[in-house]
Amino acid sequence: MATVLEHKARFDELKLSARVFLANKTAVAGLVIFLVFMGDALIVQIAPGVLGVTYPNDVIPPQFTQTNPECDNMPPEPPSLSHPFGTFEYGQQGIGCLDLLQLVMKAIRIDIAIAFFIVLVGAAIGTLLGVVSGYVGKWLDEVLMRVTDVFFSVPFLILALAVGYVIGRTLFNMALALIIIWWPLYARYGRSLTLTTKEATFIESARASGSGRLKIMFRHLLPNVLPPILVQISLDVGTVILIFSTLAFIGFLPSNVLVPELGAIANFGLDLAPLGFWWTVVAPGGVITLFALAVNLMGDGLRDVIDPRRRS
Amino acid sequence: MSDALAIRDLQVHFHTRRGLYKALNGVNLGLRRGEVLGIAGESGCGKTTLGLAVMSLLPRNASIPGGKVIFDKKDLVNLPREYSERVGDRFNPKENERVLRRVGKAMTGIRGRRISMVFQEPMTSLNPVLPIGFQVAEAIYVHDPALLARRVLSRSKATPALLKELMALLVATHGDEASLRKFAAEHGLAGIEEQALFIWNRGDIHISRKEKAIRALSGAPVNRAELKIIEVVARTGSIPPQYARVPVLSRIVRRVLIKEGYRKARELLTSLGIHHAERVVKMYPHELSGGMRQRVVIAIALANNPEIVIMDEPTSAVDVTVQAQILELVKRIRTSVSASFIVISHDLAVLAEVCDRIAIMYAGRVVEVAPTDQILQKPLHPYTQLLISAIPTLEAKPVEGIKGDVPDMRAVPVGCAFHPRCPFAFEKCHEIIPIDLPHGNDQLVACWLYEAK
Amino acid sequence: MIAAYGLSKFFPIRGAFRSTTSLKAVDDVGLKIQNEQVVGLVGESGSGKSTVGRCLIRLLKPTEGEILFDIPDSELVEYEKARAEDATKRVDAIADRFSLLRRSSSELRSLRRLANIVFQDPYSSLNPRMRLADIITEPMLSTRFCTRAEAEIRARELLREVGLPEFFEDRYPHELSGGQRQRVAIARAISTNPKLLILDEPTSALDVSVQAQILNLLRGLQEKYGISMLLITHNIAVVAYLAEYVYVMYAGKIMEWGEKGKVLRDPQHPYTKALMSSVPVIGETMTRTILRGDPPNLVSPPIACRFHPRCPVAFEVCGWSAEEVAEDLEYLLAGKYYEGFGDAVSVIAEGERTITIQGTTDAERIRELVGLENEEVRSLKSVEAIDVSDGSTVVRLHEPVEPEMYPAPDGRQVKCLLFRPDVSPPTGNA
Repeated sequence: MATVLEHKARFDELKLSARVFLANKTAVAGLVIFLVFMGDALIVQIAPGVLGVTYPNDVIPPQFTQTNPECDNMPPEPPSLSHPFGTFEYGQQGIGCLDLLQLVMKAIRIDIAIAFFIVLVGAAIGTLLGVVSGYVGKWLDEVLMRVTDVFFSVPFLILALAVGYVIGRTLFNMALALIIIWWPLYARYGRSLTLTTKEATFIESARASGSGRLKIMFRHLLPNVLPPILVQISLDVGTVILIFSTLAFIGFLPSNVLVPELGAIANFGLDLAPLGFWWTVVAPGGVITLFALAVNLMGDGLRDVIDPRRRS
Repeated sequence: MSDALAIRDLQVHFHTRRGLYKALNGVNLGLRRGEVLGIAGESGCGKTTLGLAVMSLLPRNASIPGGKVIFDKKDLVNLPREYSERVGDRFNPKENERVLRRVGKAMTGIRGRRISMVFQEPMTSLNPVLPIGFQVAEAIYVHDPALLARRVLSRSKATPALLKELMALLVATHGDEASLRKFAAEHGLAGIEEQALFIWNRGDIHISRKEKAIRALSGAPVNRAELKIIEVVARTGSIPPQYARVPVLSRIVRRVLIKEGYRKARELLTSLGIHHAERVVKMYPHELSGGMRQRVVIAIALANNPEIVIMDEPTSAVDVTVQAQILELVKRIRTSVSASFIVISHDLAVLAEVCDRIAIMYAGRVVEVAPTDQILQKPLHPYTQLLISAIPTLEAKPVEGIKGDVPDMRAVPVGCAFHPRCPFAFEKCHEIIPIDLPHGNDQLVACWLYEAK
Repeated sequence: MIAAYGLSKFFPIRGAFRSTTSLKAVDDVGLKIQNEQVVGLVGESGSGKSTVGRCLIRLLKPTEGEILFDIPDSELVEYEKARAEDATKRVDAIADRFSLLRRSSSELRSLRRLANIVFQDPYSSLNPRMRLADIITEPMLSTRFCTRAEAEIRARELLREVGLPEFFEDRYPHELSGGQRQRVAIARAISTNPKLLILDEPTSALDVSVQAQILNLLRGLQEKYGISMLLITHNIAVVAYLAEYVYVMYAGKIMEWGEKGKVLRDPQHPYTKALMSSVPVIGETMTRTILRGDPPNLVSPPIACRFHPRCPVAFEVCGWSAEEVAEDLEYLLAGKYYEGFGDAVSVIAEGERTITIQGTTDAERIRELVGLENEEVRSLKSVEAIDVSDGSTVVRLHEPVEPEMYPAPDGRQVKCLLFRPDVSPPTGNA
């Protein structure tokens, strides 16, 4: 009897969360689009053949020029039934008839993976530092605050470019640069959440019960600080994708690096678009925008679920 | 004599994502003229909701499936009730908001003027960025600018000679209000009585100082143009439309009247026991202590001479010694003011101090109402009895809790809401909601134990 | 069990220029709780009682003072004798063994087994993300009282002990009502068999009927396990129900302490009298001593006796400052006594003990005024002499005396100058 009742209570909370989220129509639309993207990423990862994708990590499949000689110097073709997003020509070597839709599907997987990597690592580092600094206080807190101040005062694009030029312009390094930019946000956020939570009397109780500082931080503070952080993470994924695809778009990656990444593809499209091949820019750009939009809409719904006042 | 306020079978439901909370389930209560009625109950019984319902301050997700709140022969809740009856289950908070807007219009002139409310937290019911004097003055200006206008006018027309006569009259009649009013009316000085009486009744200054102050009432610092508009305001109660549209002029007049409101605020605050009122009116809420803030809030509630004052937990946020001050104050004002009071509190001892009758609420209904002495010495309803025996006293008599918990208002028990916890419950209690049964002297109890056999 | 001497806690206020002002929340408080005894600490908000509780359990570090913990009576007597004789070496030796303030952090950890605290707000004192079982076992595990397996078994027993079903161990705080949560907080606090329990307003956030249940629970636990308790509350009836001794606090200082029955039924300190008369009691109409004004600002509290500005029986040496007297004098001269003096008079406070009244040399009249008004306006009692000098009247005030804890005949202690052994009772003592 007991566990049934308790399970019921917790299940009701979940049902309520679901109902709250579903009540927000735009959030649901965002969720649907987000799931479509995630689905693509997963399928390309596990069974790319289902979508007709071959060689998911390459823009140009190996030995393409040999197997498709007619594509040499073939200009991009506009969207049609056989190529819903049109085709794409890789300028330097004149390799044409690369299906843009396939390219985009490959790129989504890469982009989402990178975005999650950046946000999760940045959030982990930042939140930990923020919680420790917020709880311990004193000079550690001052130091952290000043360090984050420095990071905030530098425009992030410039910082990213600077880091890139120092450690080398690869996709992985671009992600690294963005992690460096991202962690101060979570440090600040984690710190402010800690400052409010640490005044609660259950923290004092823990101290009175003999718990040490480490135990209080990890057993008491962190679990209570995590939910809003998680919401922030889900929102940031959209923002981060926009940022690093912008970086790729403006040419962070050297032109000989050929990765299926939405910003990089759009970067190539920049050369082609003025010649009238608009779909080479619109397709990748539009996809990025759609994803960022979806995440933002979803985030609104998530905030409804988390905030107790908006919830009831 | 009819009741000042009559609540008949009032029901209020809150529509939330977690379910339908039935906050009030048929409240029957009458507030007699001039009495102080206490409403007691623990958390969740609906007492605050009742106060808000009377003031029509319920949030938009509150529906009123039935009942009436009758004030001056009008039903204050008929608009939201009709809406609820019309739509039944398809209650929509957004549509209700539109209904509430119409209710708001219908309540101007009542809310804040004829029925006023004192809330629990004085810090949040005062605007932190406006001076105290302004907040009191605004309360008067919004509802009765004519009063302020008359005061200004009377001072502008009062000559030193007339004031000398007035002073003599006060001395001769020992401050008789009626003769003073007659004098003022005869000499076209309507509006001066209030100001003169205030000075006269001050206990802390010498009579020669009073005389000086009354003589100082002559002359008001307004020019001819302003005076003309103020005259119209005094007559009609609002700024005449042709001037209301001229921005500068109407603002100037408003400023003059608000300044007058500051003067009246000083009078009000002094009468409520605040020392150095002239300093206090310029201060901001955060500069005052909790007790002072509560007095200010009470002053605002009384500023327009309301017929009903509702006080929601007026002493819960203050210390015991300040609570004593506030209770003494309430006891004093009820004798000098002709309003009827409703005091809501979870503390029966506080209500015992100031109330004539006390109503006990449980799970959205009134379970017992009787004169204070009776209900405390001979409580009839089992809940009242258990509640009183749970209160620790200084004699350290043993206290008893009540087994069980307050019911979830989404699933109020069938029949008498108290029956699961009642030591005397029998079959009828499980099935039928008890009606108010008269018992003894002026006592009503909603319990089947008292059904006449 | 626990004894505090000269306990003070000042919270520094960070001004713009790193000034050294501080909020004197607790000032020179002495407190003693015997084994198995329940002591009540009564006061209004801002009196410092919660701060005292937190200092006793070392959640806050006192600015000054000594706290001796778990000390046998004989040693305590020794300690007090040594203190009185200023024998610093002996004082030190005893303090080394029993002082709570000299413990290292690892020693403190095991000491936490012996004392714990229950807070006022049942909604924030339980970690919303922990199961009840984990909440209750935390003190046992953190102080290494027992193994994890033993702790889990004991947690179930404790739930039963506080009147909750055992299967609640898997529940989370948000599934419980306020009263149930407070029971969990109590279960957690007694889980390590402590000898001392601090209860900071344990029932103030609860409904009356629930409060009764918790009070009975606490009484039952106290009788069963013989735990010493410090019951901090503003609710005098609650103190009357549970405590044997009562300490009354005001503005950071103890005003009176003694046996509960005596202090509550026959209060001696003027503040305690006013406090007791303020409590509304069902069935009795109180004759009230209504205190004017508000509790003082603790950053710059009144000098000498902190209660003197509001005390209905304050007299010469209670701590009146020139400013306080000047304000009252000015009010009288501008109001009731306007006729004799008019507008030309101004009252200026100069220094701590002198007031100059410019514009009049009628010292006789002022003396008369003071004599007439000093029952109502107590500050005037501090006037020592009125002279004329340089065309103005100069008023000199008595030197204030800092009140100490004076013994009253029935064994209690009162911090009021009315009880000073060498002071004859002033005239007009209420």
